[in-house]
Parts: sequence; structure tokens; C-alpha cells
Amino acid sequence: MRIQRFTVGMGLLVAATALFLVFYFQLYRGGSANEPRIAVMLKSTNVRSDFWQTVREGAVAGVKGSGARLEVMGSLQDTDAAAQVRLLEDVLLRKPEALVVAPIEDAGVRKVLARIREAGIKLVVMDMPTDPDLDAVTLSSNYAEAGREAGEIAVAETAGAPRVAVLSDYESSSVSAERVKGIREAIDANENSFVGTFYSENDEDRAYVLATNLLSSEPDMNAIIALSEPAALGAAKAVEEAGKQNVVKLIAFDSSLYEIKLMEEGSLSAMIVQRPFNMGYLGVRTALKLIDRKPVPRMTYIDSIVVTRDNMYSPENQKLLFPFR
Amino acid sequence: MFRERRPLFPLFPLKSIQSSIAFAFSVLILLTIAATSLFAYRLSVNAVERNSKGYIQEVINQVNTNIQSYVDNMENISLLAMTNKDVKYYISSNSFIGNEGRRPYEKRISDLFQSILYTRKDIASIMVFGYNGRFVSDRRITTLNPNAKVEEQAWYVNAQREGGKSVISEPHVQNIIQNEYRWVVSLSRELKNSDGMTADGIFLVDLNLSVINDLLSQINLGKKGYVFIVDGSGNIVYHPEQQLIYSNLRSEQIAEVVRAGSGTTFKVEDEEGKRFYSVKDTSFGWKIVGVAYAEDLIGYKSTLINFLFITLGGVAVSLVISVLLSRRLSRPIRNLQRNMRKVEKGNFDVQAEVTQMNEIGQLARTFNMMVGQIKNLMQEIFDTHENKRKSELQLLQAQINPHFLYNTLDSIVWMAETKKHEEVVEMTSALAKLFRAGITKEQELVPIRIELEHITNYLLIQKMRYSSKLDYRLEISDSILGCKTLKILLQPFVENAIYHGIRNMPGSGTIVIRGMETQDGIVFEVEDDGLGMTEEQLEKIWEAPDGEWKNGGIGIRNVNERIRLYFGQAYGISIRSELAEGTCVTIRIPKIEGSGGMG
Repeated sequence: MRIQRFTVGMGLLVAATALFLVFYFQLYRGGSANEPRIAVMLKSTNVRSDFWQTVREGAVAGVKGSGARLEVMGSLQDTDAAAQVRLLEDVLLRKPEALVVAPIEDAGVRKVLARIREAGIKLVVMDMPTDPDLDAVTLSSNYAEAGREAGEIAVAETAGAPRVAVLSDYESSSVSAERVKGIREAIDANENSFVGTFYSENDEDRAYVLATNLLSSEPDMNAIIALSEPAALGAAKAVEEAGKQNVVKLIAFDSSLYEIKLMEEGSLSAMIVQRPFNMGYLGVRTALKLIDRKPVPRMTYIDSIVVTRDNMYSPENQKLLFPFR
Repeated sequence: MFRERRPLFPLFPLKSIQSSIAFAFSVLILLTIAATSLFAYRLSVNAVERNSKGYIQEVINQVNTNIQSYVDNMENISLLAMTNKDVKYYISSNSFIGNEGRRPYEKRISDLFQSILYTRKDIASIMVFGYNGRFVSDRRITTLNPNAKVEEQAWYVNAQREGGKSVISEPHVQNIIQNEYRWVVSLSRELKNSDGMTADGIFLVDLNLSVINDLLSQINLGKKGYVFIVDGSGNIVYHPEQQLIYSNLRSEQIAEVVRAGSGTTFKVEDEEGKRFYSVKDTSFGWKIVGVAYAEDLIGYKSTLINFLFITLGGVAVSLVISVLLSRRLSRPIRNLQRNMRKVEKGNFDVQAEVTQMNEIGQLARTFNMMVGQIKNLMQEIFDTHENKRKSELQLLQAQINPHFLYNTLDSIVWMAETKKHEEVVEMTSALAKLFRAGITKEQELVPIRIELEHITNYLLIQKMRYSSKLDYRLEISDSILGCKTLKILLQPFVENAIYHGIRNMPGSGTIVIRGMETQDGIVFEVEDDGLGMTEEQLEKIWEAPDGEWKNGGIGIRNVNERIRLYFGQAYGISIRSELAEGTCVTIRIPKIEGSGGMG
């Protein structure tokens, strides 16, 4: 009798203590945010670059409500590796908790990134195929998959008899290489379907010249896949001048207002569009998870969208093609 | 109930009452505080929730008012266009305006639209499309996008379908003007002819979406809170994270929002946190939804912090008080304990101080009484012991009564002189036995047989001295011979009977000693037929201060006391006597079987 009463008493005491602990921890959980800093390194901070501006928007959306502070930076030109190296050196000095970076493909950049990781800054890499040397948490479009989609559209548009030329940017670009791999996977089932890969080096005029030459030297070519916007514009101009809009199908990667206009005209059959907002958002989210020491996948693919003339004004695609700001 | 139970672990390992009381108090206090805190916490949470609901409602009402004013404005512009004569003429199907004559109309309409546009920064464009193929915009030269067909646009089709009523579109990219891709919300309506029946064209006003966007993004609903808009069928009109929703990275409670009525609030609690959704319907079919996160709401956390500090402070204070209280309560007990320790050591003069009249005061009083009683009892035991010792001494004295010894020795001398050898031998041996019986035995209790032997020897000696003057008879039943009695119990009475009863009487006397078993024990009777006593004499015997009967014999009272000391108050002596008739002394003792004993 006596003991039972004591047991009850002890139980109540334990319950009371538990209650207080709960109060205590609930409070601490809410109050212990010490504002981690997350640096986001874009390839380009050019306000005219819709892609990177949308990445920035995604990053801002991702950080909202988390209590973290965001620092967005980047070189003006997406080819200015030296500027990015300088900025990364700066990040190394300021030591934020995490860095979300879209690295320009350059040995110098890679070296700095390795040093940043050694310094204990959590590293999230975006817009880059997996790099075994860097071995960092990566977020990117599935370039090979996007290439495959482009290839499949080419096959469909040419009624199953494609003869495809690829207008790439640089020979050194691993992104482009992945895309070409995907395209080949989709079209190689068809005989004599691949004309070749040509490098326009992000120059519209060069692309125009390449395309014009191809149109005359390869009369049976019926599809051009342009891996960059300048390549697409140059190729479109060449096709238009040759009067072959209905013969040579043009498929482009990424979107711009010019490409949209080409699509409205019907010169452009399809665009393979990435989701830059998601890239920025998921990049920051992944960084937050790393800071909180939660598990994250090594590789996250961001899906690409195929936009055609028919679906370009759907609510979803409008948001993608016409970034609002 | 009395089963022995041992706790699995020492549930109450506190040794002193003070700590037990302190513990009990602490538990009590903690429980009370916990209960109150919980209650108050619930109350404050409810209050915060109520406040936040009100706050969100207010915010979205504000948003609604603002958006409504934009829409009203567009509506007014459309009314203006509708009633404008130039516009009517210009798009009229039976218009007399020729191709040459339309320029001034175009200019006037365009000027009108432009002047409206100047005053309203929120309007992106104003256009009229006549079914006769003509169109006017707010700019002088307008090139339409050749690849965007006006007739296929949603706003165009919807306005036609509604037939005269204004239609608000979802936010969309307006692509009908060449090289312009602007995010707008369109208000369109079909324009009727002056007869009010036939339709002449479509009027379009585009509102810059950035106006709504700025409005909504400026709203502060805490760190994570936001406002979004859906249309009547649940399509998202505006959402700060629309892209995430489209790519399924984020979900929104669209279904719930569509179900919720205007002005209602509902609560959602999932892995994203607890939040409140407030829904407001606009007059044109949109639903404005404000979302606030519970954790964001100001005051929520600070209230909790204050609360915890107050609670912790209260706990600390009450713990101190409980320790002090328990000390105060247990102090008298500790005093009592100290006194008990003294008693333990043998000091019975201790008296506990009785300061309060509570339980502990009563305990102290009872303790005092107990100590007093123990003291008395000990004194009593001491006295009893003393008395016993005295009576034994007297017994010894009685045994070796010197007069008796001298007389007996005189008798022996006299007998020896008269050469009565046999008598000398007999008497001497009886005397020896008499003394041996008294001295050698250590125990107080002897078998009746021994006592009988003893009294026989005594009587033998006295008989020899008084010869024919004394006669005696022993009538002891055999059944009691093995039982025990006090030694030398009978001798004083026999002695008295001889000296006081028979010696001074003229004739000879007889002493009868009886021993028998009764219901209550054993009864001895010593009866003589001697002088007897008056009542006064009898009383005197009892009153004799030192208990002596006469001439140094052992007192009746002492013998009586001796019996009672050994056997209890139920036993003792009674005397019956009558002058000239004789005296009878009755002695009652319990029956104690030979082997057993009182210890």
C-alpha cells in the first residue's frame, strides 16, 4: 500500500520532469538558430542572363524561413574563370558554412574548390556533370537524358529517318559531351543518322557559317540540334536563308526570347529547357541539410522540360520561358 | 496485508523525516507548477492562434481591397471604352468610316487610351479589336505578333463566350504585340453595338502583374509566411513558389483552400510546421490565401521564454521554501529524538518540552508520561527486591531464633543429666535436621514433603520440651506432597500457636496442621485449641509495625507479604480466632507441580 503510493509519487515526479524537459527543448530548438551563411556562386551575375537570375531566385526561395543568410555572387561572364577563382578565394577567407557553386570548367576553379572543401565549408556543386576528381554533392540536369530527349524529338520530327548534325559550343565542355552522348543513344538505332558534331564556340556567326556549309554539303541532313543559344540562332538564320524551314528541323537547348520567337515562327521545333529555379532552390536546400548534418544524395538530377510550339504557353511553361521579375 | 514486500529498488531512500517531507513538498510543488504551466501554456497558445488568425485576416482583407481596386479600375476603363462614341463607330460592323477616314478615329482613340495609361502606371496596355478586323491600341504604331493569333487567345475567347460581361484572366504572358512578352492580368469584354445586341469587338486592358507581385511580396507574415491566390477551380494565380509547385518539389493545400469559405481560417500541421490558412474570396472569383507559420508569430516565443523563466523561478523559490518548511516541521521531532537518546542512556529524569499542542506535542506528552511510569516501575521493582531480601533475612532469623536454640539446648542438657540418652540423640538429630533444612537449600521453593519433614522435626523438638502439655496432628493429603511451597512457611504459625496459644493455658493443647488441595490451589491450616485472641488482639497482629508478633518471632504481615510477592495478590493468610477457643491460620498458595516451577 505504502510502496504503491510512493510508486505513484515517483511516477508523477518523472512525468513532471519530462514535461519540463519538453518545454525546455522546444524552446531551445526554436532559439538556437545562429544564422548560418550560405554563399551561392553563379556562373554569371549578368542581369540579362535569365537562367542565372532564375537560379538566384530559386536560391532566395530556398533560404526563406530557414534562418540562414544568403550571399549570391559570380563573375559577370560565364566564361571568366579567373574572376570566379578570385571570388572563390574570397569565399575561402570569409568562411561561410556552405558554398553552392556552379563552377566554370577550369583547372584553377577546381583547385580552389578542393581547398574550400578542405577548409570545412560544405560544398554543393550545380550545373555540372559528376566530376570524380571533385567528388562533391552535385545537383544538375541529367545532360545525357536531355540529349536523349532531343534525339528522340529529332527522330519523331523526321518521321523515323533522322540525319542529325549537332552544333555544340566547345570541344572541352563536359556538359555538351554528355548531351551529344545522349543524342547518339537516341538516334544511333537509325542507319546513317549522325552527320557529326561541330563546335561554334558560342558564336552566332560561326554557327551560321557552320550551318550554311552543312546545308550545302549535306543535302540530306534533316535535323540540327543546337546545344547553345548562339548555335541555335546561327543555325536558324542559315536554315531560313536556305529556305529549308520545313525540311531541316531545329532543336535547341535552353531558352531565350529569340528562341521563343523562332518557335512562334515555327523555325524551332523544340527546346529542351532546364529548371534553373529548382536548381537554385535545391542547391540551397541541400546546403542547409549538409549544415544540419542530415543525409543528402551525392547526385540529384533536375529534370528538363521539352517545350514545343503547342505547349509553350501553358501556365507551367510560361513560368519557365518567361522569368518574371 | 502483512505479506513481506520488498521494493525492487529503494523507492524512498531518504532517511530523515526532513528530507522525506522536503521531497514530498517538492513533488507536490512541481506537480502544481507543471499543471498550471501546462494550463497557462495552452491558454497562451490559444490566444496567439486567435490573434494570428485575426492578423492574417486583416492582411488578406487589405490585399483583397488593393487587388479589387485594380480590377475596379480596369473595369472602369472598359466602361469608358464601351461608352466612347469613337470606339463604337470605329469597330462598328456597319460603319460608314472608310479606310481613308479611319486615321483620325484611330488617333483619337489612341490618344484617349494613352491619356488613361499616363495616369495609371499599373496598366500595361489597352486595346480594342473589332470584329471588322480593325484594332487600336494605346500606341500610335502597333505591330501585332504575326505568329500569335488574337482570336485564339484565352481572354478573347472567354470574353466572346461571356457576351458583354468582363472577364479576368489568369496571369499570363501577353504575346500579341510583336517583341513584347509581358506578364499581365487581362480584363476583356465584348463590346456591343449601339443597339445593345450585336457584338462588334473585344476590348482588352492588361494589368501589369508586377503590381500584384509587388503587393503580395511586400506582405510580411513572419519569416516564412506568404500570400497566394488561386482561382475558383483551384488553379494557382499567384504563388511565390509556383515553380516548385509545378515541379512537385512543394505542395500546397489547394483542395482545402477551394473547399474553405470566404473569411474562414484553417490550421495545417505537417512536416513543414504548424500554420494557419486564411481564405478570402474576391468578387471576381479569385481566392486570396494568407499563410502564417505558428513559430513565426511574434510573441509566441518570447511568451514561452518568459513563461519558462517565471516557472523556473517559482520552482527554485518553492524548493527553498519546502526545505525550510520541512526543517521547521521536523525540529520538534528531532528534539524528541534527542530526549529519547538520553533515556536510552539511562537518564529517566528527562522531560521533553511540550511547546505546541499538535500531534508532536501530544507525542512529547505521552513520552513524558511514559518515562515517568518507567521510572515508577523501576522504583517499584527496586522496592520489591528490597522487601524480599528483608523477609528472607527475617526468615533466617526465625529459623535460628536464639531463644528456641537456648531452650532446646537446655532441654538437651537436662535430658543428658537425667541420662535420657535416647531422647538426647533424638532431639539433637531433629535439631540438626531442622537447621539443615533451612540453611542448605538455596531455592525458595521446596516440595511440601520437605516442608512437612521440617515442621515434623520442629514439632518433635517442641513436643520433647513440653511433653504432655503439647499434642499435635499432621493431616496432609498425599496428593499434594509433590507440590511446591515456600520453605519454612508453616514454622512461624506453629511457633506462635505454641508460644501464644498453648504455653500459657492451664491444660494441654493440640495443634493440628492440615494440608489439602482445593479448587484454587493448596490450603494449609494451622489450628490450635489454645487461648485464642480477642478481635483487638487480632487487629494488632496485622498492625504490628515491624510485623513482629511478639518476642522476636517473624511477623504475620511479613509472611503474608512474602506469599503475595511470590504468588500474587490472590494468595495469602487469613486468621480466625476466638478467645478461649483457639486460633486457626489458613494459608493459601497456588498449586505448583513438583517438576515445574515459577522460575
